[in-house]
This record gives sequence, structure tokens and C-alpha cells, in this order.
Amino acid sequence: MRNILNFIIRYSKWFLFTFYVLVSCMLLVDNNVYQQSVYLTSANSVAGGVYNAWSQVTSYFHLKSINESLQTTNADLQNQVLNLKSELAEMQTLLGDSAMPASMRDRFGYVSASVINNNTHHPRNYFTINRGRLDGIRPGMGVVDQNGVVGIVNVTGDHLSRVISLLNETQRFSVKLRNTGFIGSLAWKGGDAAIAYVEEMPRHAVWQIGDTIVTSGYSTTFPEGIPVGTVINRVHGQDDSFFTFKVKLSSDFKALSSVRVINDIYKTEIDSLANYDIKTSEI
Amino acid sequence: MNKSVLTNIPLLILLILVQVLVCNNIMLFNVAMAFVFIYVIIRLPMFLSTNWLLTWGFAGGLIVDMFANTPGVNALACTLLAMMKRNMLFAYIPRDDRTKDISPSLSTLGFAVYGKYLFSMSMVYCILVFSIEYFNFANIKEIAIMSAASSILTFLILLGVDSLVSKK
Repeated sequence: MRNILNFIIRYSKWFLFTFYVLVSCMLLVDNNVYQQSVYLTSANSVAGGVYNAWSQVTSYFHLKSINESLQTTNADLQNQVLNLKSELAEMQTLLGDSAMPASMRDRFGYVSASVINNNTHHPRNYFTINRGRLDGIRPGMGVVDQNGVVGIVNVTGDHLSRVISLLNETQRFSVKLRNTGFIGSLAWKGGDAAIAYVEEMPRHAVWQIGDTIVTSGYSTTFPEGIPVGTVINRVHGQDDSFFTFKVKLSSDFKALSSVRVINDIYKTEIDSLANYDIKTSEI
Repeated sequence: MNKSVLTNIPLLILLILVQVLVCNNIMLFNVAMAFVFIYVIIRLPMFLSTNWLLTWGFAGGLIVDMFANTPGVNALACTLLAMMKRNMLFAYIPRDDRTKDISPSLSTLGFAVYGKYLFSMSMVYCILVFSIEYFNFANIKEIAIMSAASSILTFLILLGVDSLVSKK
């Protein structure tokens, strides 16, 4: 017995070293342990508190550019509202009020939030927002800013959530060409924070440079038609039976500030209908 | 573990805050990133037991990981760095000095020894961190460029940190 104890004490540094290395490797390899524990992410209260305090200072830095893009979006939206109003009035005189089922009107709700911590130079980037479970945020909800899609909620604490950024190699988004409706899959490949790729676009797709890429609406995460980016050109992908497009993303990920989290009130219903095991890697 | 070691705790907290709030958000020319919090591992006294050294390294790395959402990357790299620290230091300091319990810094070791030691530690850490994070030989060119640029940046910033801390 004494020999064993002596042995352990003598080589304690190697035991401790092995233990720490094993714990690190477990965190590194097994993403599930990590994702299920909110304490180990930036959505915990200590990290969140620090980031919250810090963002009170730094959130002023990008106000000018954010204001400009908000004004552009606002102008566009006002135009759309006017057009839709006149269209709606026209339709209502033709059809009467009963034509549209009431339940379809407000399928998506929005919760506004501020980004308190953001990264763009890792291969797997995440950012943290200052809304959590108590504000109605749940994992799997989509996140957009004034310019378009930015990510998907991943871990929620009581008052904070961690969001998988669009700039994350493990996350894919179902998208389509706005003009022609051909479906593809958006993936970020690391490096430049403004460039991503749309893969698995059918070879007969009709497209041109500058086409807008929008969300397909085939998942409950994002409504149809939210802008993602514009086509720069076609590149050689891994699979020659599909087209791959290089896309300029519409959101400026280095200056994320105000975002909205999308809540689909039919989410549970649709998810349970579709299948019982939807993989989070293809939302 | 004596009192002089415990005075490093505020330093560790301060450097971790600087790391997660400032340095993690800056990537110079898209290749160079500074890792300031490893300064604590570099500075801890020479004869602190390896067990404590490993614990300091692991804890520091884990906290940075928690803030940066990089599970296990810094924790693993710091543990490995802490394990290598004493051998690295002994490789450079003259035989006569090896019996003294000194906290490595510019003033105690002189530029020739400390410079080499600091640069080796920075370089090893940067190589470890980027290899662990990108873990893929397809990215070997990027890993090499980023490690090289980051170790130079880290070295320069840590020299500055050292002159600030040692002034007291």
C-alpha cells in the first residue's frame, strides 16, 4: 500500500498532467458535453456580466455605419409597406376580408437583442446576445440583423444566449436564389468574414452575377426571403454535379450590434411533423 | 506555494480580462494575435511545484476558453506549455543560476537569456494553439504563418508587459 502511495506521490505531476490533458481533449472533441453545459460558454453569468459591462463602452464604436444601414433598410421597408398597403386594399375590395386565414398572419415573432461579444477569426465563431431563456429565447431560433441572416441560437442561459455565427464551419443554412428559386446550401469556409459559399446548387440553375441569395424558408428557423448575400461568381466546388457560388454576405459581421431573434410559433408543431431527429447541422 | 506566488492571482485575472476583452478581438493583418495571459505561466517562480504550475495553466486556459467559446483549445495548450516551462528555462539559464528560486523576468535574467526564453515560450504556445484549433493538415500553411506572426507579436507585447509588471 505504501509503495502505491509513494508511487502516486512521486509521479503526481504526470497523473495531474494526464488528467488535465484528458479533460481538455474531452472538451475539444466532444462538442455535446460542452454545448449542454451553459457554464462553460460565454453565456454564463460571469462571462456575460463582463461582456455586458464592456459592451456598454464599445457599442458606441460602430453607431455611424449601423445608423446608415438602418436608414436604408427603413426606407426600403417603408416603400414595401406602402406598396403592400395599396395591394392589400385592392385585394380586399376584390375578395373581402375572409380570404386569408387569421392564423397565418403573425407566424413569426421577433425579440430584439444586443450583441455583447463577437468573434470572426476562429474557424468556429460564436457571439453572445443579452437575451436568454426568460426572454423567450430557445436553442434553434434564427437570428437576423438589419441586413440579413447572422446566426442560430445555440445555448441559452437565463439572461444570455450564445449564438452560432453564420461564420462557423460546422453550420449550414438552406438558401435559394431570390429570382429563380433554385435551392442550395450556404457554408462558410473560414478566412474572410465577408465571403461564404453556396453549394449543392443544381447545374441547371439559372443565375447571374449579383443575384441575391435569400433564406429558403424550408426550416422553421428563418422565414422565407431574408437576405443572406449576393453572388460574386461561380467557383469549382468539391462536387462537379453541382454548382458552387462564391457569395458576398450582406451582414457586416465585424460590426454586429443590434439583432433580432426570430420565434416561429409553429416551430414545435412543424418539427414534430417533419421528423423526430432533425440534425442541427443542416438548418 | 507561498505568498509571492499568490500575488500573481490579481495579475492573472487582469491579464485574462485584457486577453478576452481586447486581444481576442484584434487579429493584426488577419494573421497575428497576441496571447498576453500566458505571461503568468512564464513569470511563475522557477521552483514552484509542477503540480501547481499545471493547475495555474489549466485554470487560466479554461477561463479564456469559456470567454472565447473555444472549448479546450487554450486549456490544452496552457497545460502543455506549463509542463514544458521548467525544461525550457533550464535550457537557457547558466548552470550557476539553476539553484536560485527566481521569477523569470527581464531584470532577473537579463535580455540574452530572458529574450530567448520568452520567445521560445511564445512560439511554442502559438504553434500549439493554432494547431489545436485548426487541427487539419490541409491548413498547415495558414497555421505556420499565423503561428510565426503571432509569436512575434506575443513576444513584443509580453516584453512590454514584463517591463510594466517588474517596475514595482
